[in-house]
Amino acid sequence: MKPNFIQKVTNWGNFPVVEKEMKSEDSFRKIKEFVLNHNEVIARGNGRCYGDASLGEHIFSTKKLNKFISFDRLNGIIECESGVLLSEVLEISVPQGYFLYVTPGTKFVSVGGAIASDVHGKNHHAEGCFSEYVIEFKLMNESGDIMTCSREENSDKFWATIGGMGLTGIILTAKFKLKNIESAYIRQESIKAENLDEIFRLFDESESWTYTVAWIDCLQKGKDIGRSILMRGEHAFQHELPDHLKKNPLRLKGKFEPTVPFYFPNFVLNSLTVKIFNLLYYKKQAKKEVKNFIDYETFFYPLDAVHEWNRIYGKSGFIQYQMVIPKETGKEGMKKILETIAHSGNGSFLAVLKLFGKNNPQAYNSFPVEGYTLALDFKVNSKLKKLVDKLDEIVQEFGGRIYLTKDSMSRSSLTNYLKNIQNPKFVSLQHKRIINNN
Amino acid sequence: MIVLGSTSEVAQAFVEKALQEGEKFEKIYLFTSNKETAERFARHIDVKFVQQSEIIELDLTREIDYTTFDNINSNVLFCATGYLGEGTEEGLYDNKNTEKIIHINYSKLVPVMNYFAQKFESRRSGTIIGLSSVAGDRGRQSNFIYGSAKAAFTAYLSGLRNYLFDKKVHVLTIKPGFMATKMTEGLPLNPKLTATPKQAATCIYKAYKKQKNVAYVLPIWAVIMMIIRNIPEFIFKKLKL
Repeated sequence: MKPNFIQKVTNWGNFPVVEKEMKSEDSFRKIKEFVLNHNEVIARGNGRCYGDASLGEHIFSTKKLNKFISFDRLNGIIECESGVLLSEVLEISVPQGYFLYVTPGTKFVSVGGAIASDVHGKNHHAEGCFSEYVIEFKLMNESGDIMTCSREENSDKFWATIGGMGLTGIILTAKFKLKNIESAYIRQESIKAENLDEIFRLFDESESWTYTVAWIDCLQKGKDIGRSILMRGEHAFQHELPDHLKKNPLRLKGKFEPTVPFYFPNFVLNSLTVKIFNLLYYKKQAKKEVKNFIDYETFFYPLDAVHEWNRIYGKSGFIQYQMVIPKETGKEGMKKILETIAHSGNGSFLAVLKLFGKNNPQAYNSFPVEGYTLALDFKVNSKLKKLVDKLDEIVQEFGGRIYLTKDSMSRSSLTNYLKNIQNPKFVSLQHKRIINNN
Repeated sequence: MIVLGSTSEVAQAFVEKALQEGEKFEKIYLFTSNKETAERFARHIDVKFVQQSEIIELDLTREIDYTTFDNINSNVLFCATGYLGEGTEEGLYDNKNTEKIIHINYSKLVPVMNYFAQKFESRRSGTIIGLSSVAGDRGRQSNFIYGSAKAAFTAYLSGLRNYLFDKKVHVLTIKPGFMATKMTEGLPLNPKLTATPKQAATCIYKAYKKQKNVAYVLPIWAVIMMIIRNIPEFIFKKLKL
């Protein structure tokens, strides 16, 4: 049996699915061989981006670059290979009183992916993107040479790679800072908002909170448009915790984590079931305001508790549509977007609203700019492209852009914002799609 | 812990599993012919578990200087050394390939195992875990050089278990079946029959704790191999397995 590295590959949205070469190596010498022997190479971490960003003709999987290199426990600086997952970082760091400065809504992304996407979290307005805390990384370029990139060394490559979607080379290792925590718990407040005006007001009022995010029921129309629940949180200090958590504040008990056993049939998710889900979710919280302490897993990664939840969308898969609209016109734009979705009847199971703070102009390839961002899931079906077109039109009208990490079908004028990445060696299917549509 | 073949993904997953379960080792001795990969792992377990380790170069295709192992002592030996070599069609009549398969899987490996077995015997405690293969259960046309070496290794472990029984040393034989590792990367393996290194490590750790004698990594393989072993030879020889 001769090995055959051509295989079916797809990312978290299960759309699109391609048959391409995918290989993984753990020695830099062999990775260099792979880079030199192929044209159109793209690195792929844990495949947790949604669309076609990490798919390409020759995929280099960083799964085997999964080792830690060093951990300075005094200063909270960790160095690891790029295929290490954020979950693995947390496993070591939390018991020792350190947390990620910035984390996306899943802990199952690789460190390399977090840099290439320059991920953001619920604290963007307060603490920026992942890149703010990256000290340096090693990048393999098109000639197979390994460059150390930091703010001082090869800084042009450093900034181009941040948010650069893997188009500048293969990230091999990274060193980044962690933040001190006293407990593995979050002091949380959840507040119900009747409509869009109220939720926007709540965001403004919550500016001093480190973490804010809102779940939004995107099927509501008329005066109820924007019905939502705002969640804001802070890392809890040990002394604040209730007595039963005080004893072992940095350790969480193991929890039951179910797995979705198969792809759900197509009829399971439809506008009615989404409506019922949204209603139950909104009504679950009886009071207007709830204050409590919850563990960091539940606060940051509620969906990670259900493994392979992407299967509920069935075999045809789903897309995540995340856009940002600049602050000045953000409210108006959001309203238009929500109205369009409600009228399309194409419900989103999970709609998340967030206010981005100022962006770092040096990280010019990063997605976030100051304004409102909304992330929505849509099941792939025959009507979806039309809806995406309509939404794209609104985003365009209000001067917004689309998050490349989640994109798989948006128009190129909203997705071609990357600069200084032209490199014939490193090419993704997404990049080709965007360029060809220009 | 002494680890032979320490760059094997299963060996590394087993070391991590044991450390996660709270096992303590004064030192982990990482034997390998690939220093670079072993060094990565040594740093990794130091960061993750604050576990000290030492790398010892061991190339089973060369002359071995046993005196360099004099000071190495432990209560657990994990042997994941293995070499699949080229499959039958490409490599059957290639002498170098045949020799290498037999050396790494059996002939050069057994003296090393014996060297440490003797230390275990004199201390009258410990566990020796050997990764053999389902390929050793019956010779099949697709990889019988490898299979025959693994069959010999299985027999060696079985005899060693018998010999060390009243010396209070336990020997565990693992037969992994398909595993998603470097050895099999790119081969079209049925996912239902294939274990990840992590799954394998969990199984092996359980078998180690329960002091099992022989364990298949996925239980299905015990059934498959029972069937394969019991097919009458006059039929078996005609099959394309």
